[in-house]
Amino acid sequence: MNLSIILAIAFGGALLTYFSGKISKKARDVLAVLISLVIAVILAFFYNTSSREIFYTGFLDFPLILRIDTFSWFFAFTIAVIGSFSIIFSLSYIRKKGNTDYYYTMMLLVIASMIGIILSGDLVSFYIFWEIMSWSTFLLISYNRGPAIAAGIKYIIMSVTGSVAMLVGIISLYSHYGTVIYTELSGLLYNASSGYTIFIFVLFFIALGIKNAIWPLHVWLPPAHSEAPSPFSAVLSGTLIKIGTYGIILLIYVIVKINVFLNLGEGIVSARYIIAVTGAITILIPTFIALLQDDAKRLLAWSTIAQAGYIILGIAYGTSESVASGMFHFFNHAIFKALLFMVVGAVEYRTNGVRDLNSLGGLIKKMPVTFVGGLIGICGLIGVPLTNGFVSKWLIYKTLIINNSPFLAFAALLGTWGTILYSYKLLHNMFLGQLPEKYEKLERAPFSMQLPIVILSLAIILFGILPGLPLKVINSIESGFGLEPLTINIWGITSDTGTINMLNLFVAVFLIGIMIWLIFKGSKKSAGIGQYDNYAAGTTVPKNKYHYSVDFYGPLHRMISPYLRDFIDDFYMSLARSIKNLGNGIRRIYTGDVGYYAIYIMLFLALLIFIQIKWKLW
Amino acid sequence: MVMTTILEIIFIILLAGIIGLFFLGLSRKIMARIHWRYGPPITQPLIDIIKLFNQTSMSHGFLFNFGIIFSLAGSVVVLLFLPFGRICPLSDSGGLLVILYLMLIAPLGLALSGGEAANPYTSIGISRKLLLAFGYELPLLLILLTVMTHYNTISIVEIVNKQFQAGWSFQHLSLLLPGIAYILILPAILGFRPFELIQAPQEISSGPMAEYSGKFLALTTIQHAFNIFISISLFTNLFLGGAANPGYFFLKILAVFVIFLFANAVFPRFRIEQAIKYLWRWPSILAFAGLIIVLITGKNF
Amino acid sequence: MVNPILLIVIPLGLAFVVPLFRFISKKIEKFIPFFALLANLIISLTLFPHVLEKPIHVSIGGFLPPLGINLVAGPLGILFAMLIALVGFLVSIYAFAYIKEKDQEKYHILYLLLLTGATGVVLTGDIFNLFVFFEILCISSYSLVAYFGDKPGIESAVKYLIQGAVGSSLVLIGIGLLYGQFGTLNMADIASNIHSVHSISVFIPLVLLITGFGVEAAIFPLNAWLPDAHSSAPSSISAILSGIAIEVGLYAIVRVVFTLFGASSILTFLLFLGVITLLIGELCAFNQENIKRMLAYSSIGQIGLIVFALSIGSLSGINGGLFQLVSHTLSKALLFLAAGYMIFRSGSMNISSFEGMGKKMPYTSFAFTIGAFSIVGLPPFIGFPGKFMILKAALFEQDILFTILVFLILLATIIEGAYFFRVVQTIYFKGEKSTPGQEREIAPLSVLIPVFIFVGLIVVIGIYPKLITEILESSASELLNRADYIKNILP
Repeated sequence: MNLSIILAIAFGGALLTYFSGKISKKARDVLAVLISLVIAVILAFFYNTSSREIFYTGFLDFPLILRIDTFSWFFAFTIAVIGSFSIIFSLSYIRKKGNTDYYYTMMLLVIASMIGIILSGDLVSFYIFWEIMSWSTFLLISYNRGPAIAAGIKYIIMSVTGSVAMLVGIISLYSHYGTVIYTELSGLLYNASSGYTIFIFVLFFIALGIKNAIWPLHVWLPPAHSEAPSPFSAVLSGTLIKIGTYGIILLIYVIVKINVFLNLGEGIVSARYIIAVTGAITILIPTFIALLQDDAKRLLAWSTIAQAGYIILGIAYGTSESVASGMFHFFNHAIFKALLFMVVGAVEYRTNGVRDLNSLGGLIKKMPVTFVGGLIGICGLIGVPLTNGFVSKWLIYKTLIINNSPFLAFAALLGTWGTILYSYKLLHNMFLGQLPEKYEKLERAPFSMQLPIVILSLAIILFGILPGLPLKVINSIESGFGLEPLTINIWGITSDTGTINMLNLFVAVFLIGIMIWLIFKGSKKSAGIGQYDNYAAGTTVPKNKYHYSVDFYGPLHRMISPYLRDFIDDFYMSLARSIKNLGNGIRRIYTGDVGYYAIYIMLFLALLIFIQIKWKLW
Repeated sequence: MVMTTILEIIFIILLAGIIGLFFLGLSRKIMARIHWRYGPPITQPLIDIIKLFNQTSMSHGFLFNFGIIFSLAGSVVVLLFLPFGRICPLSDSGGLLVILYLMLIAPLGLALSGGEAANPYTSIGISRKLLLAFGYELPLLLILLTVMTHYNTISIVEIVNKQFQAGWSFQHLSLLLPGIAYILILPAILGFRPFELIQAPQEISSGPMAEYSGKFLALTTIQHAFNIFISISLFTNLFLGGAANPGYFFLKILAVFVIFLFANAVFPRFRIEQAIKYLWRWPSILAFAGLIIVLITGKNF
Repeated sequence: MVNPILLIVIPLGLAFVVPLFRFISKKIEKFIPFFALLANLIISLTLFPHVLEKPIHVSIGGFLPPLGINLVAGPLGILFAMLIALVGFLVSIYAFAYIKEKDQEKYHILYLLLLTGATGVVLTGDIFNLFVFFEILCISSYSLVAYFGDKPGIESAVKYLIQGAVGSSLVLIGIGLLYGQFGTLNMADIASNIHSVHSISVFIPLVLLITGFGVEAAIFPLNAWLPDAHSSAPSSISAILSGIAIEVGLYAIVRVVFTLFGASSILTFLLFLGVITLLIGELCAFNQENIKRMLAYSSIGQIGLIVFALSIGSLSGINGGLFQLVSHTLSKALLFLAAGYMIFRSGSMNISSFEGMGKKMPYTSFAFTIGAFSIVGLPPFIGFPGKFMILKAALFEQDILFTILVFLILLATIIEGAYFFRVVQTIYFKGEKSTPGQEREIAPLSVLIPVFIFVGLIVVIGIYPKLITEILESSASELLNRADYIKNILP
């Protein structure tokens, strides 16, 4: 099986979907789902293989290469699976909205280009797919109109900024080493001056950091993720920003190589620490900002930035445990963040677009499956033991502590405690508390939404109890990078400095849970009562008002909000304004008076002659 | 091997429950005496629990039940990770970091259960609980990190073992400041005054407990008992050297408990903002200073 | 083998025949440019393989150079001739439906003359002849700018005329000085006598020519006519002005600098001039509300980029510059044509009047989007290889100066992206989602066909740049190997 066939299916399928929509809506829906599933299935067969092929030679003098190995397989497969789930989720979500052909085409195009990026074997094809991804994402972010328009423009400008920087980096590498193929570039920077290596690093990091939303390059993410259609937010948060992660791993561990990276700079001012500290800041600030959000999707968007911080921290820290945790957390985050966006999307779908956390409540009674999805999702996000997020976070804390970086560990741990606060708020304000009267007739989410929610929830539990499944893949990636693999078994990790065994934990929790449940069941049965049978200090329960969700963390909010304006965003906006003003100023050169224009011409001429007479330059 | 582990587990759970309930009873007795009252018998909490199990209860739905079970299970599982004397059934399953995380399950379970009750008093109580936890976690995390960095391990059993060799953590000069910080935040962890703002019976009708009745109330009382036991044992294990046998360990935690009980009796109550501000100021500064000292003096083990 | 002189004779001859056809049928006249340029396109395509082997030169009237006027159809000339014929041909199809008002006859005559002038400039080997063709080009474009006869049109045409006239007189003086010194007007002959521009007597004609042609080539600060002229001309003419006229001006400069004077020492200056032109063009376009003005400023920026690339002076630099030139011609022509029809429908040049066009005119909007993406340099469109080649050429110099200039260029790219994406958003996402009574108003086929041929070319060359890289490479080496050029003509 050829790698180029996957791309042909992905890109061809995207176009085909558009035209099939003109013929039959059913056919289009089926086709879209089918294509995304087929890609995932084909990719699954590539497990544990490695191959490399030149798929195109027509672009200038660069042979464009596709390659697959465990590293790219892991990312590509995750992306394909999350992508197909969100397409399934879209089936009913998007039906109400119109422009459906366009939506599916763009969605498939985004997925196709992401897979293209992952499978690329050289930097030029990487860049080409990267840009296709950028503009197709741009065309989809604004799909909802209204505030989504500003979100889209912010995204694309930042994205273009990043990619031009990366382009300089790629071409500079080419001009120095005469190649852009990963395998040939690999390790060549060993002999480069550290100044040049840093130059390359900075250029690539602008692009990768923007995609991965590393503070202070994160500002596009909150509006874009919250204004995009929810299934697409799942793709954005779950996979698209992880393309940045992929790029960072590629840069550090494939192109630059670990030994060069760890020797770049000394102590605190080394590349390793600077990036790791940036990762830690990326955890902390967005976590606190997420606490202040009242919009469900915006809260999740900020949370995404924070979680991306864990991934960066893990990858940049450079021990084999931290890198494993970075990649494992990428995988976990893809699952639970996609799940959470779908949960919010399902609620949004049933309530006709409400995602304001202050006007929902009590939906657990109406949408129980969605609620359970949300519960498991936030457990994964927090890292409650027996969910997948736990193991990856445990690994990062452990390696930071053992290697004597307690402050980084502190940032990571504190971020988790912040996560508890905002994720409980998310769940409480949507699903718990009093059900407003207007939602009493609400139906359950449709099957096409429940299906991905259930599958992803199960995945969170599965990989929480059996973390060895993904860790085995990650281990083989790590040995490819020249890192020492972890000693793992299917339910945990063993090492001298700390062992974890999820099976023990699972059995303990399970048995104890059963025991308590038996006691609970065995004792006197309780009577079920409704939400209006509550304690209300002697009065009747007021409808629609007996609910505490507005200003849920009010006291904390008042304390920290003055410090938590998004100053970075303000900075970028003022930058944009000053460019605008500069443009308006410069336009005054063109006065409209033709006399001036003639003078310009003569002045130009005079200047040239003057320079030559005076200095004999030419 | 497996048999002894299972026996150990049962032993610990029972003992922790009994000690926890004893502490609850004791606290009522001591408080009463400080208030110049006679007070209920020390067995009163146990009597209450038996009574509550026999009363009719009301449930608000599936999550209402599940949350309680989840919460209690979480507390019980933590017990298996804490060295009780030298007994620690699940010592090799992740160490202190797992304990930290498992300690989350109990409040999360209660929060979920209370959330479904659809009572604003409950929600306010939960909000305060989470905020307070966020408040004390900041210094607590610093303290734990200092300890883990100092001993260069994440295993609590090893921390206890190292204290057997080198004396209590309090005797290590570099752990003195974190120790003091821990003492300052322990009332917040225990929910004692001046941090008794989660239940605040006079203000928000017992907060998270507002909708509980019958067996729910009984289970939350048990959970509360476990919680007191866990919080104090963690402190004892980390800073007071643990203990070689369960009896000695019991005496240590009893002493700690009684001291904090006296503080509880004399202090008024903070508002939540004040509590967070307090927690983020002195204890955090002390803990922070401790961490820096440990980093400077280097690893001692 | 066909004679390259036909490339000039056919459109010129047919231009004068247009009034005659009037007697047969009024409907026929608009097809004349179509056939003339189709013929030109075919001729230049058939000449193309021959030219790659060896440049063709034709002496007019049998006098051998340096005495007689001669045509030189080298790779560069044929490249431009092909481009002119192609764009001219497609725009003439567009004009079927677009040009309906006023005197169509005049439009078609002037249109043919404009393209004759352009073709003549790029094919001639005689500097004075070049000037003559250049004047034909300029004068017909002055009048075409004023074609609608409205106040802004006439005003900007007059401004254009004044500045163009200043430029032309400078060119004429420069040519006069050269003739005085060397006694010949044949470019190869002059070139063989110039070895350095260091002496002021050679330098002054050089700067006179650069400045004079620079007016038409829209180099800063000589480009003040451009935003007015491009925005008030009919859109088909804007497409030609942006896609052909300023490129021909650029051709003249390049010919003068590289072939005539071999003045590689002045390239550094042009390098900076290019970057300044680029930055100023993009900054001016950034906050522009008038779509055609925005596109016009963007053309200034693109010309700056091309000037930069050509002034790198290396083979790959010139290669990249020429690629960017082709890319700009195709993309900007497409943008003007697509925008032109949207303006025609919405009745306003204001960007905000494009709201909801995505629904109303889906095909035209789609084409506009492709053009915009291509100009910004996104793959898989033609703008990407162009930008890629330019950056590659600049960074291969491995010079800190070039690195800094590259960052300025990229800054301009970001600004460019910002305003183009804004328009794309306006087209697709702004405005009411769907208002009742809003009907699709799909553009007529004669508009859609040329527009989609442009789209096709943009995508195909973007994916397969090798299609044109061969001719670009030989054009670039033609420019760099001055001695070969001279030897070819003066054996």
